[in-house]
Amino acid sequence: MAEKEAEIGFNRDTISKLLSSFLKEDKTRLSGDAVQLMAEMLKIFVQEAAVRSLKQAESEDCDQVDIEHFEKILPQLLLDF
Amino acid sequence: MSVGEDETHQRLKAAVHYTVGRLCQKTGEEHRREFSRQVIAAIAETTYRQCDTFAKDLEAFARHAKRSTVSVEDVKLLARRSTALSIFIQNKSDELNQEQRDVKKKSIGKRKNRDTEIGE
Repeated sequence: MAEKEAEIGFNRDTISKLLSSFLKEDKTRLSGDAVQLMAEMLKIFVQEAAVRSLKQAESEDCDQVDIEHFEKILPQLLLDF
Repeated sequence: MSVGEDETHQRLKAAVHYTVGRLCQKTGEEHRREFSRQVIAAIAETTYRQCDTFAKDLEAFARHAKRSTVSVEDVKLLARRSTALSIFIQNKSDELNQEQRDVKKKSIGKRKNRDTEIGE
């Protein structure tokens, strides 16, 4: 139970505004459920980016996860999404 | 006009950056490594730009289905490239539907109780 409360994620309102700001047509709307699912998907995106970068850093025996690790995993990350 | 837009984007970027930072911190704690500030910023920027692609794709899917409102079906289509992701999104969508059904049942139950009280 305590775990659920501490769950980090994207704010629904933020995602709604964010996605809306990129839409090309004025009449396009986002359903509430779609926004909620997008928040989940973006959370996965960030987690994948983080974990893959971390694994890369581990494989190179580095203490800190740095931008070069992220750069190496970025192409595959974008292809996978 | 564009100054206002810039401010909105700055605020949204900051919000994304904040959540990305927290997610990275949690991941780092679980694996006993730290994420540099640069890499967190880079992930945040990438996520922000990915939203642009996602939004335009979602809009295109909805338009293709002759809808003006982006729906769950469009999001599912967005997740098509990875099987694991598709399954995850499907499960989340089912969870949402179940939650909504539970909420409806509760409110119908409450209404029935309220009606009988007023009747007396």
